[in-house]
Amino acid sequence: MDLIEIITLAFESLRVNKLRSALTALGIIIGVASVILLVSLGAGLRSYITSQFEQLGSNLLFVVPGRLGAGGRGPGGQVINKLNPKHITKIEKQVENLDGVVPTIQQFTSVKYQNKVQKDVTIIGTSHEFGEVTNLTITRGQFFNKSQNDTGRRVAVIGQTIVKDLFEEKNSIGEILMIKGQKYQIIGIAKERGTTFGFDQDNTVIVPILALQRQFGVTQINNIYAKASDQADVEKVAENIKKVLLEDLTEDDFSVLTAQQTLETIQGILRVISTALAGIAAISLLVGGIGISNIMLVTVTERTREIGLRKAVGATPRDILLQFLTEAITLSVAGGLIGLSIASIATIIISRFIPALITPWSVIIAFGFSAVVGIVFGVAPAIRASRLEPIVALRHE
Amino acid sequence: MKTLLSALNLTKVYGEAPNQTFALNGVSLAIKNREFVAIVGPSGSGKSTLMHILGCLDKPDSGKYYFEGKEITKYSDNELAKIRNKKIGFVFQAYNLLPRTSSLKNVELPLIYTDMPKSEREKRSIVVLKEVGLGNKLESTPAKLSGGEQQRVAIARALVNDPLVIFADEPTGNLDSRTTEEIINIFQKLNQKGHTIVIITHESDIAKKASRIITIKDGKIVSDRKKVNS
Ligand SMILES: Nc1ncnc2c1ncn2[C@@H]1O[C@H](COP(=O)(O)OP(=O)(O)OP(=O)(O)O)[C@@H](O)[C@H]1O
Ligand SMILES: [Mg+2]
Repeated sequence: MDLIEIITLAFESLRVNKLRSALTALGIIIGVASVILLVSLGAGLRSYITSQFEQLGSNLLFVVPGRLGAGGRGPGGQVINKLNPKHITKIEKQVENLDGVVPTIQQFTSVKYQNKVQKDVTIIGTSHEFGEVTNLTITRGQFFNKSQNDTGRRVAVIGQTIVKDLFEEKNSIGEILMIKGQKYQIIGIAKERGTTFGFDQDNTVIVPILALQRQFGVTQINNIYAKASDQADVEKVAENIKKVLLEDLTEDDFSVLTAQQTLETIQGILRVISTALAGIAAISLLVGGIGISNIMLVTVTERTREIGLRKAVGATPRDILLQFLTEAITLSVAGGLIGLSIASIATIIISRFIPALITPWSVIIAFGFSAVVGIVFGVAPAIRASRLEPIVALRHE
Repeated sequence: MKTLLSALNLTKVYGEAPNQTFALNGVSLAIKNREFVAIVGPSGSGKSTLMHILGCLDKPDSGKYYFEGKEITKYSDNELAKIRNKKIGFVFQAYNLLPRTSSLKNVELPLIYTDMPKSEREKRSIVVLKEVGLGNKLESTPAKLSGGEQQRVAIARALVNDPLVIFADEPTGNLDSRTTEEIINIFQKLNQKGHTIVIITHESDIAKKASRIITIKDGKIVSDRKKVNS
């Protein structure tokens, strides 16, 4: 018998026992689908986060209050924010190879246009260089300039979500936006930035920091963004910023992060999580394989008479071995294919809500794995079948 | 006529001493081409055991067995499979058809273990199914066939490789007398066409149609009578 004959035979035998075949393949279907799906989720999340950071630019550095890592900030632990505008001036003056350094403060509140209210808006107070430092593009109007910044004029740059929700088709430039009872004039619209971890980055209003500080009566700043002139200088600039700030503050008061570092840290965590998930899913594949083995063994007993008959009419032990092995492999590969389609459909549906991406290697691995499972767990029953004495098999009740 | 198979002092023992059963206890016989042999004897006398050895499904514990002059006792499993495939056809009391599988596919079964191309296999299977009168039941599964029809499918399957000899172990044991008659007629026709037939039976009517009747008791041949007229 050649290979095509054997495969045809296996298919026929599986077709004749549809229910049994379906149940056997189920374990593999679930295993393969979950491996591919979980890997897709991990990959989707990673590529999404990378793209978010790329949007910011790889020259970017952040200064955040408190000490990150090394147990400096416990979960829920309160950090006393000691960063203030004076530090910006110091960094500007003393650190070289800087393209810009901007402070930010954030307020979460609702804004109003005429009688329409937009809730949970992030109000960012920053300086006129913010656009340049964080690669923010203005699609209409302009960002506020140095004099508007220095005098703390109440002007605002709004994000796409605000435009959509409050202004729809109307031109918003020049209109008056109410932030907690204060009038701000809209002077620019920022380009869409998307959503990070469910946080809509376009539901924002950017205003001069001084205006916001005055309105809310704060003097501290939340974060400092700085941009190195060259990517090669990022680490050096980070060190220098740290040195400058340490003149005033202690190691526990702030942390300097680079976009690259942060990205690598997050990616590292995600990689561990997705590998662990894929590992758990792989266990279900293994269980599926054992299921195949079990059912095939039962099948061999159940089909003892069939095996005896096949041998009586001329099947060699090799013919029987190959038939049962091919059945097991066909089941697991078919299970793998069905699992793959389920995972693909699920990925398409899921990716509407959270990032998910089918990666070629997860498909290859899950597929290869199911074929291997078929062989490994099909061998024992197949050998058992091939060794049955024809006469014993025929006499079997 | 040429000798097709010959056995010399075959024994087959089941179980350990002291509870041994001598299923065969020194059986010697020779069967020529084109003979129609009936093997009779009480239940448990060793008929099936003998047929399984003659049909290369089983090996004796001692003694020699020659098929077409070659000593089979020394053959490997693969070589035995090949002989069963090409030279021997079996018909069992319980039909032993593959369930949920069409008559055509059932008959084709021995051919898939040869190198005959698929189209030819199908043609050949249809020819033999027509020969046993089932040309109109090619696609029926065993569940849709009567006992007699199932046994005819089994005969077609035994016939499909054009074997030298067909062994039938109580082929009519599950059938009524009218159907038995039909089946026996088929065997007679096959014998007339040149196939050697060895048939185990309990029914004297059937034995009477054979050209030779071998009686077995307690693992031994107690009589071996040839008819003169056929
Ligand atoms: N696999 C086996 N294990 C143990 N004993 C066996 C086995 N096969 C056959 N026997 C014994 O060998 C003897 C001959 O059995 P066999 O099946 O050849 O008889 P038989 O003449 O075909 O009987 P029947 O007419 O009932 O079919 C019996 O006593 C039976 O119990
Ligand atoms: Mg018997």
